[in-house]
Amino acid sequence: MSFRLLPAVAVLAVFAAALAALFRWSLLEFVPGSLQPGGLTLANFRAVLAPQYVGAIRDTVVLSALTTVLTLVCAYPVAYALARTASRRVRSLILVLTLAPFFTGAIVRTYAWVLVLGNTVVTWPVPMLFTERGVLVGLVHFSMPTMILILAAALSHIDPVYERAAASLGASPAHVFRRVTLPLSMPGIVSGGLIVFAWTLSAFPTPELLGGGKVKMIANVVKDLGLDSFNWPGAAAFALLALALTLALLTLVGRLSSDRAA
Amino acid sequence: MRSRLAVLLLVALLALPMVPPARAQNALVVSVWGGNWKDTVDRVIGKAFTAKTGIPVEYEVGGTIDRLAKARVAKGNPLVDLNFTTTHVARLYISDGLYDKLDMARLPASKEIAKEAFRSDSHIGSWAYVYTVVYRPDLVKEDITKWSDLWKPSLKGKLALPDFDPSHIITIAALMEGGNEVNWQKGEAKLKQLKESVAAFYSTDAQSQDLMKTGQGPVQVMLSVNAYHLQEQGIAVKVVQPTDYPGVVGIDTMAVMAGTKKAEAAHQFINLALSKEIQTELVKALRAGPVNLGATVPASLKGQPGIFSSTAEWKERGYIMNDEARAKNLPGWREWFTANIVKK
Repeated sequence: MSFRLLPAVAVLAVFAAALAALFRWSLLEFVPGSLQPGGLTLANFRAVLAPQYVGAIRDTVVLSALTTVLTLVCAYPVAYALARTASRRVRSLILVLTLAPFFTGAIVRTYAWVLVLGNTVVTWPVPMLFTERGVLVGLVHFSMPTMILILAAALSHIDPVYERAAASLGASPAHVFRRVTLPLSMPGIVSGGLIVFAWTLSAFPTPELLGGGKVKMIANVVKDLGLDSFNWPGAAAFALLALALTLALLTLVGRLSSDRAA
Repeated sequence: MRSRLAVLLLVALLALPMVPPARAQNALVVSVWGGNWKDTVDRVIGKAFTAKTGIPVEYEVGGTIDRLAKARVAKGNPLVDLNFTTTHVARLYISDGLYDKLDMARLPASKEIAKEAFRSDSHIGSWAYVYTVVYRPDLVKEDITKWSDLWKPSLKGKLALPDFDPSHIITIAALMEGGNEVNWQKGEAKLKQLKESVAAFYSTDAQSQDLMKTGQGPVQVMLSVNAYHLQEQGIAVKVVQPTDYPGVVGIDTMAVMAGTKKAEAAHQFINLALSKEIQTELVKALRAGPVNLGATVPASLKGQPGIFSSTAEWKERGYIMNDEARAKNLPGWREWFTANIVKK
């Protein structure tokens, strides 16, 4: 092995050691009222397959998928304007508005949503705070800046000549968008979608604060088990299960998206 | 040569988190929650301790479980000398051999403290509070005077409960049905009737206070200390002294870490913390109940929920759970609570 690879190997070894510790803990028996785990067991994996934990995985996947789709729908027009506007002033304004949330931090942004969704600023026709709807709004808002930047980068690489050519041949603007712009921006849609989907799977502060304890995603359950129930083996088993599922889902989504993009 | 240097730098970088923070050599290191807790412990106990003994005090701050995890990793060679934590979590420290036994001969002030504050031969109470019913009268147009009022249909969608530790409401429901924290299952059906009333669950003190401030959870099973803190901020909340069952007592405790080389100083610190004078200051600063029965309680706090100033008050106005049962049952309680109350 090349000596130059050693730093990378050393860093990866730390990650591997952490994963190995997680795996080891997931196989140890949980003894309530004690920090000392018991012997080897598979009981933790059986325990985390209880309906409430499986429900949290299902809710996480559904919320992640909805977040990805809604973020894409909301971000695309903004990204298009950012990529295509001729005015530097408008571009700067869009960039500032897009990037501003990055600098406020996840917790601050989410607390702001607690006020907005909690009928203190706007009166909503349906309950928003402490519901999946509210969590979804928070997750989409959190994901928008990244999606806008990725899509804008993809759109700026599309030569406008193609769109002009289609229009000159009689295609309507909607037709041009559907048959030219959208397919050519597919690499950005796939990358942005995968990134948003992946990080939403591990979302923590948004469901924690906007879900009011009623909406639990995977990270919230891991925290509940590990930090509130002191069930470190159970938390490790659930985290491993969630990790395996996440990897499987990302592989599947990645493959489907690549096929679509191709 | 350059490669070797790069490897050395990388190893040094990786080892950096393992290096304990620089401490004054003779300092007593106290592990405590951050924010107001640490500030109060330092201002009221730490400064007086240093003035009396000449020993500086340093702090390791963090959440209950972060500090427990750190203590576990440092077992046998503790990074701290003295630990503050809740009484049932202290049971986990004890089960892992992380605490030394207290030497009562070195704690003469303990003769003045309520017997309820002696939690084990390894940990001793520092102050007390209750989890009780707290509400905002401006948002709830009826008087709440007892635990059973929480079940009133008019409070539907207004209640906020702690989900990180549902032991209080589980115990109260069990008491209402003739059980207690050991045979808590007796209260299961009663608890399920509460499900529709819950607007939100909170997992931190900060969330609890935010829910009260914003009116999202105007009726809560809440820590008395937090309720008094809200009152200080000008938020009109009413702290209920329930007439049917008492508030559920919480006791924060102190202990000497096993393997510390400063056991003598740690005992001195605990003894000072238990003294009448310091307990009087702690009551004022934290709005928590003193464990020293001789401590002076300000008139504004006398008789308030969670403030016990006599043996009779400890006995009559607070329900103290069995620490061991609580520590053992908590994971099961949380699982049941999540499946039956939290889950849609």
